[in-house]
Amino acid sequence: MILFQGVHKEYPRTGAALTDVTFHLRKGEFTFVTGPSGAGKTTLVKLVTMEERPTSGTVRVSGYASDRIRTRDIPALRRRLGIVFQDFRLLKNRTARENVAFALEVTGASAEQISPKVLRTLAAVGLSDKADHLPSELSGGEQQRVAIARALVNDPFILLADEPTGNLDPKVALDILRVFKDINLRGMAVLLVTHDRTLLGEHPRARIIELDQGRIVRDTANGGGAAG
Amino acid sequence: MAYTSREAFFAFRRSPLLTALSIATIAFALYTLSVFGLVWTNIDRVLEGVEERVEVIAYLVDGTDPTETSALMREVAAYPEVDSIAYLSKEDALERARAELTDYAELYEDLEANPLPASVEIALRDGFRDASDVGDVATRVARFPFVEEIKYGEDWVQKLDFLQDLSLFLGLVMGGVFAAIAFVAIGATINIVLISREDEIAIMKMVGATRAFIARPLVIEGFAKGVIGAVVALVLLTLTYSLLEQRVVSLTFYSPLQVAGGVLLGGALGAVASIVTLRRHLSSW
Ligand SMILES: Nc1ncnc2c1ncn2[C@@H]1O[C@H](COP(=O)(O)OP(=O)(O)O)[C@@H](O)[C@H]1O
Ligand SMILES: [Mg+2]
Repeated sequence: MILFQGVHKEYPRTGAALTDVTFHLRKGEFTFVTGPSGAGKTTLVKLVTMEERPTSGTVRVSGYASDRIRTRDIPALRRRLGIVFQDFRLLKNRTARENVAFALEVTGASAEQISPKVLRTLAAVGLSDKADHLPSELSGGEQQRVAIARALVNDPFILLADEPTGNLDPKVALDILRVFKDINLRGMAVLLVTHDRTLLGEHPRARIIELDQGRIVRDTANGGGAAG
Repeated sequence: MAYTSREAFFAFRRSPLLTALSIATIAFALYTLSVFGLVWTNIDRVLEGVEERVEVIAYLVDGTDPTETSALMREVAAYPEVDSIAYLSKEDALERARAELTDYAELYEDLEANPLPASVEIALRDGFRDASDVGDVATRVARFPFVEEIKYGEDWVQKLDFLQDLSLFLGLVMGGVFAAIAFVAIGATINIVLISREDEIAIMKMVGATRAFIARPLVIEGFAKGVIGAVVALVLLTLTYSLLEQRVVSLTFYSPLQVAGGVLLGGALGAVASIVTLRRHLSSW
């Protein structure tokens, strides 16, 4: 699934963002990645999507390895990942339905395939009745649901979410967490990045990987203590 | 497919001025290239008619020994450039002059002595008829001591030759300059499109779009600009041609196949300019 082995990541000007990061995400697992701002959480997500490559060590994602993957393989990898951001990243001039359809269009799917799949996915995040709304006509929580639907529509094996509740008020944040939990119950792995500790309490059975200054300081899959 | 057809021609709306500039420069590139090409073709046609008759004529000193003349003929006939060689005696020369210049026939009546020299006429093979080959043969023939004078490659033939080379040179240089400007303009248009669609392209990359998918509508657009530019050039060229036709006698125009080739060349120019720019900007994923 996803395997980090001795990963170091240094940026040209800011130096080490991740140091000796090793972990293994299994099929269907729900994992929180947490830690203070600047701990390296976003960098970790970018390593999974191969937007960044490790300075040393290896990242393996579903058969692709960071030291061997070619640029032209990356689109195929991305289609196996569902990605959600803090700022939703929806196209402003397109409706909810069109935003979700966009992810399928890009893969070259036909219009006949796209339409029913988009509606099914919007239903799965509870937005059937707002399919024809523009982002500006939706609340923050609803926009994030559209973004989640877009991430799901290509049937990825994992949903990656980088601070998905960061722009939402606490009550809505819990709603969104519930959407991720529902999706996870249907068998899809979730990797949810958050610095919001109250969210962790809402899902006690989830695995927690805690980062601080680029190092894993806790991984509950390894007995809950600090990882070596 | 839906994406490609929806997004192509986005730049036409987004930056009409740069789009117009791209089309205009492609049009000028092809126009200059094709005008000089037309000059080249027409000079070529004239020269072809002349070159078929290109020969070197060696006038012989009066009283040259016939054995020396035939030795010259044998040697010169063996040159690789030479197709055929013929001897024209003083009498033959006079007869020909009388026949060719009937209007001035009285010039050649009542002559006490024949003023025309005997000569050897050397015709050159196809492929050895340009100015330098002809001059070369002439130089070698002139070395025979009893050759009094050599005549070859009329002045105006050499001038046309030069004009032909010049038109090729000017066509390539000016066409090349405009093509380069077209490249830059198309690149700039694509930059604007890429910047104004930064968010969209980032999302496309995130959800697994390939480079080809993102590039396709922009390349199609570049191709379309090139074709439109070529059509504009064709209109200008046709106008220029018909203006010249009214003043100068029969000129040849391009064949339909060449015109189609020119239009495709414009399209290719636009597409290649787009691909080059996109390669630079869509390199990281
Ligand atoms: N593109 C980048 N270039 C240079 N330095 C970066 C870049 N992205 C992140 N960093 C640095 O790496 C460290 C970790 O950043 P990040 O992964 O964004 O942390 P987090 O998401 O936990 O806040 C920070 O010190 C940050 O300044
Ligand atoms: Mg971050």
